[in-house]
Amino acid sequence: MRLLQLSLRTLLVYSLILVILSIPVSLFSIREILNEEVDENLEVQASQFLDHIKGFTYLDDLETDLEVLDQLSYNIHIKPSDGHHEQSHFETITVFDSLEQENHPFRQLSSSVDIKGKPYMLTIQMSLVDNDQLVLVISLVQTALIVLLIAGLLFINRSLSRKIWKPFYATLNQLKAYELDKSKTIEPEITNIIEFDDLNKTVSSLTDRTRKVYLEQKEFIENASHELQTPLAIFHGKLDLLMQSPTLSEADAATLSELESTAKRMSRLNKNLLLLSKIDNEQFIDKEEVDLDKLVLDLLTNLRPVAELDHIPIAYNASVCMLNCSRALIEVLLTNLFHNAIRHNIPHGKVVVELKEQTLQVSNTCPPLKMSPEKMFERFSKENGSINSTGLGLSIVRKICDTCGYELNYNYKDAMHHFIVRF
Amino acid sequence: MKILIIEDEKELVKSMAQYLRQESYVCEIAYSAREAKEKITVFEYDCILLDINLPDGNGLQLLEMLKEAGKTDGVIIITAKNSLEDRVQGLNLGADDYLSKPFYLPELSARVSAVIRRKQFEGNTRLAFHEINVDLLGRTVSVNNNFIDLTRKEYNLLIFLLSNKNRVASKNAIAEHLSGDDAELLDKFDFIYSHIKNLKKKLTEGGANDYIKTVYGLGYKFGL
Repeated sequence: MRLLQLSLRTLLVYSLILVILSIPVSLFSIREILNEEVDENLEVQASQFLDHIKGFTYLDDLETDLEVLDQLSYNIHIKPSDGHHEQSHFETITVFDSLEQENHPFRQLSSSVDIKGKPYMLTIQMSLVDNDQLVLVISLVQTALIVLLIAGLLFINRSLSRKIWKPFYATLNQLKAYELDKSKTIEPEITNIIEFDDLNKTVSSLTDRTRKVYLEQKEFIENASHELQTPLAIFHGKLDLLMQSPTLSEADAATLSELESTAKRMSRLNKNLLLLSKIDNEQFIDKEEVDLDKLVLDLLTNLRPVAELDHIPIAYNASVCMLNCSRALIEVLLTNLFHNAIRHNIPHGKVVVELKEQTLQVSNTCPPLKMSPEKMFERFSKENGSINSTGLGLSIVRKICDTCGYELNYNYKDAMHHFIVRF
Repeated sequence: MKILIIEDEKELVKSMAQYLRQESYVCEIAYSAREAKEKITVFEYDCILLDINLPDGNGLQLLEMLKEAGKTDGVIIITAKNSLEDRVQGLNLGADDYLSKPFYLPELSARVSAVIRRKQFEGNTRLAFHEINVDLLGRTVSVNNNFIDLTRKEYNLLIFLLSNKNRVASKNAIAEHLSGDDAELLDKFDFIYSHIKNLKKKLTEGGANDYIKTVYGLGYKFGL
């Protein structure tokens, strides 16, 4: 749920409750105000009426007149009372209107008065607004209010999310697309909203800092590998010199040979690390037309004698495939895939290389993986402690595929590992 | 044969010089670009081993200077940066070969002798060791004027061993020389053994002495 939807929902619920509550409250208060007004009117009428009557000094047959008045008037009733004095009071009554065949509410003032020494009961009535009508009108008004409120809130919400949240979504999209090793920096637009500017500033400084650390680390790996090359060269040189000594015992010779193999392994590791960081630093930018078919053929020709030592035949199903890429990179990619297929194989196994429609498939016989295929492409993940493997070959393959935008897939089928590169 | 080693890493220079002197090359040494400049302008060398990263300058500038002066000294670039651009730039500037650190000394020796041979091609396209004669242009080998038929690998192996006469070439160095990067696939050295065996057999059957000695546990040595 979006932030705005959440606040909108809360707002809507709150205003709905408020509007519904306001119906009885306003009904009640309007009723009260109306009653007060009507009561005042009734009082004024009653006192005017009594004042009037008092003015008549000569009317002896007032009784008859009052009776007539009582009969004729609809709103005013005056009747002789039994002398029991009653406090004047207001009440709301319902009168049946025979004409309209329905009940109407009336406000009525009853008061005991003395006219010429005789006790009378004066009742004055005034029609009130029909309750039902009042409820109806108020409900209508409030319903209209609700509709307008919801429509307004929805509209404001939409335009708000479009306008105000725009910079937020822009930053969010940049963050989503951000790749540490590719994107440069996040450049948020300047808004006039403090929170967003704050957020953008934080995001920018965070990504800049992360990127800086990443670059430093990358540089460190490259520098470390570089710096290691010379000591390794010295080490190799001294070993080669030591081998020339005519007084070496057999045991010394064996030790020397092992030392040299270890030094060789170190150099290979170092070279591969350097290669990885070079690919990272995009130092292979020169592109050219490469005849993949010819390149595969050349590499396999060199590899076959080596593979045959382990009795691993390499089959190649050729087809024409031209690529526009860095020749050096593609060579590294192919070499690593082929080496992998030969190294991780069984005696008398086989390697099948197939080039078809911009897709290269390298398959080799080998028992299934014990680790997850994802892990296989990670640096230094080796399944068996093969001394001759640096554990970097496949991660170089993946790095090259990532850099060049090739699709790299792996599956295990028919007792063979298949590596598929789609160019 | 005079060789100039331009390299600031003293221990490395020591090893290189010591190894190359065994091939009876005369080695001079420059530890800086300034020193190297002085030597280059005054003397002629058959081969210059040039490190690109020098404390007081870039080796490629030295190379440029050398070519502008019209010198014909053979140049092998040696660098810790195994970068393609450097390699291409170096070769474009007229370097004869390129060797990245770390390297085997027998490999260095083989490259040096190849460069020197190429420089002297006009007069000498032959490599001889007693009764063995190698025609470098035709890539043929003869023993007592009888041609013997060698495979490409065996021929390369022979040249490599001849460039490292009387010194031990380790199995690792031979494997890398013969198979390049593919050598890393080989944890056994059976294939070197079989190449050596075949070469030995062909040479002795052709009437040559058995010059290839097995140095137990280490590698092979070509010599008397």
